[in-house]
Amino acid sequence: MTDHAVLVLRLAAPLQSWGGPSRYNRRETRPQPTKSGVLGLLAAAEGRPREASITDLLNLRLGVRVDQPGSLLRDYHTASDYRGIPLPSAKVNAKGAQTKTSPPKYTGVTERFYLQDAVFVAALCGPASLLEHLEHALRHPAFPLALGRRSCPPTGPVSLGLQDSTELPDALAAVPWQASAHRRCQVRGTEVTLEATVEDPAGDQLAVDVPDTYDLKTGTLFGRRSVRHLWVTVPTGRQAAEPADEEAPPASTGHDPFALLGW
Amino acid sequence: MSQPTLFVEVHVLQSLPPSNANRDDSGTPKQAVFGGARRARVSSQAWKRATRVEFAEAVEPADRATRTKRIAALLAERLTRPVTDGGTGLDIAQAERLAAALLEPLGITKSSKKEEQSAYLLFFGKRQLDDIVKLLNGRAAELAALPDKDLKAEVGKLPVVATLSTGHPAEVALFGRMVADLPTLNVDAAVQVAHALSTHAVRTEFDYYTAVDDENTDDHGAGMIGTVEFNSSTLYRYAVLGVHQLRDNLTSAEDTRHTAVRFVDAFTRSMPTGHQNSFAHRTLPHLVLLTLRTDQPVNLVSAYEEPVVGVTGLANESAVRLADELTSIATTWGARPSNILAAYNVEADKLTEAFGPSIAFPQLLDSLGELVGQWLADAEKTKADVR
Repeated sequence: MTDHAVLVLRLAAPLQSWGGPSRYNRRETRPQPTKSGVLGLLAAAEGRPREASITDLLNLRLGVRVDQPGSLLRDYHTASDYRGIPLPSAKVNAKGAQTKTSPPKYTGVTERFYLQDAVFVAALCGPASLLEHLEHALRHPAFPLALGRRSCPPTGPVSLGLQDSTELPDALAAVPWQASAHRRCQVRGTEVTLEATVEDPAGDQLAVDVPDTYDLKTGTLFGRRSVRHLWVTVPTGRQAAEPADEEAPPASTGHDPFALLGW
Repeated sequence: MSQPTLFVEVHVLQSLPPSNANRDDSGTPKQAVFGGARRARVSSQAWKRATRVEFAEAVEPADRATRTKRIAALLAERLTRPVTDGGTGLDIAQAERLAAALLEPLGITKSSKKEEQSAYLLFFGKRQLDDIVKLLNGRAAELAALPDKDLKAEVGKLPVVATLSTGHPAEVALFGRMVADLPTLNVDAAVQVAHALSTHAVRTEFDYYTAVDDENTDDHGAGMIGTVEFNSSTLYRYAVLGVHQLRDNLTSAEDTRHTAVRFVDAFTRSMPTGHQNSFAHRTLPHLVLLTLRTDQPVNLVSAYEEPVVGVTGLANESAVRLADELTSIATTWGARPSNILAAYNVEADKLTEAFGPSIAFPQLLDSLGELVGQWLADAEKTKADVR
């Protein structure tokens, strides 16, 4: 198994957007990075053209840890022709040409959704040689990197380096907590429990986010993969039992119904 | 292995007075939460459009790009021009027929109602039309005389699609183009622009206003009342230009150098025009920092994750934070830019330490042009050596 390794990524930015299959004027984001988005990031770093094959990347197994869940941002977005020409409509005429909107409509409205103020850790498990190559590409990208959408450049280092081959849950548990200062202030205990999703053939959930290609000619069809949700506990870096905190409830009571909300 | 890369990053700190440059569907200035605090936001799309408009203003009309459905009419018009004027001297009917044949491989069929219009808007350069005319190589009259079938066969041999896939105008090369039906015409944008965010927390304010009815003599009430939402902010704006990618899109090194400089100029000086007449928020930056990197772009927005609290002025503190972030990133992960250029009007020793002395903006652009030109020349040489 030494020919395998785990590549760990830190995905943080004021805005990120991880779309799955979404159509027309409402461009949504998933609450966590998608496989399509993460592989796209890697392919862009390598400078692969859109029509290049991505079959070697598809076999990488992905695990995602939610270090800071962030919240949903809805962005109102309009588009129009600057010369004042009506927008094309969805209809085509007998010759297959798009018709103009009638009555004329000049401004197209779209809604784009983003995750704001979120931080994720992603781990990819696969052949060591491929991951070494990708890790180098992340540090020397051919195209500027983006978290799901081009207007979302990452902040801080994207690659946290390679680890020896382990299981994805163990790999995720080994990475220090990446949350920002304000989130750290909210957690009092010495440990924090984070939601995670790992790819697992025996998983009980399906994620529909496996791309077949990024070729614009054919468009992307999304395949399914089995995933499993789990909790990962990592140290917060706080000293245990600060004298001033004596009145605070014990750090872990085992059940926290608000954990998924990131409170 | 991979080709050498050069990223030019533009970091701008700019204060906006009470304004509403970019609003959502309820009229509220756009916002985002960052570092747990609500920030003013101007979307990347809004600022890209402002940049594009600013960019186009300084371009010769003949060199500009156009986004139109009328490519067939424009091409036909060029074909009717006399040979001395770069045309072929055909009459209009022949020219239209030839233009239609030339554009057929693009899938640009005429719309049935509007004779001159194609099915979709195509973003291309006016010079590219001249290049298509040149493909005819003086055979225009000969081709126009052929019957439909032979015309199609002959014209099919000409690399029309290839012509539209090269020699892009600067605007297409910078901002990209997507044609769903004909992916060979796609151009990947060389520019990435982030949403502008305020370095500090903001709250939306409401401006209550009344409008007077000048002809009203009956009562003393207002003719109309309403509110306008606004905020004021010191924004951190970030954009990155892949010079290597721009060169691939443009092919010419001289055009690449010129376009890179013009882009930085246009991005820095542009301003979205939302509520411009109500607020006159047209400001110029406090600080423009250019970082050139040959490894990877670094967005310094993390400097403001903890919102700035303006004790000695927001701009001042934001600038110092930016200097600290640039230095600390260089130390902690060894990502030092290969060159740093900055223009600023904020007084602080820390800035000079991190960015070097302030250079007036026009000189800053000149220096950028030299650095980009030098890199392009070196990249050309490396390529030749490899060959």
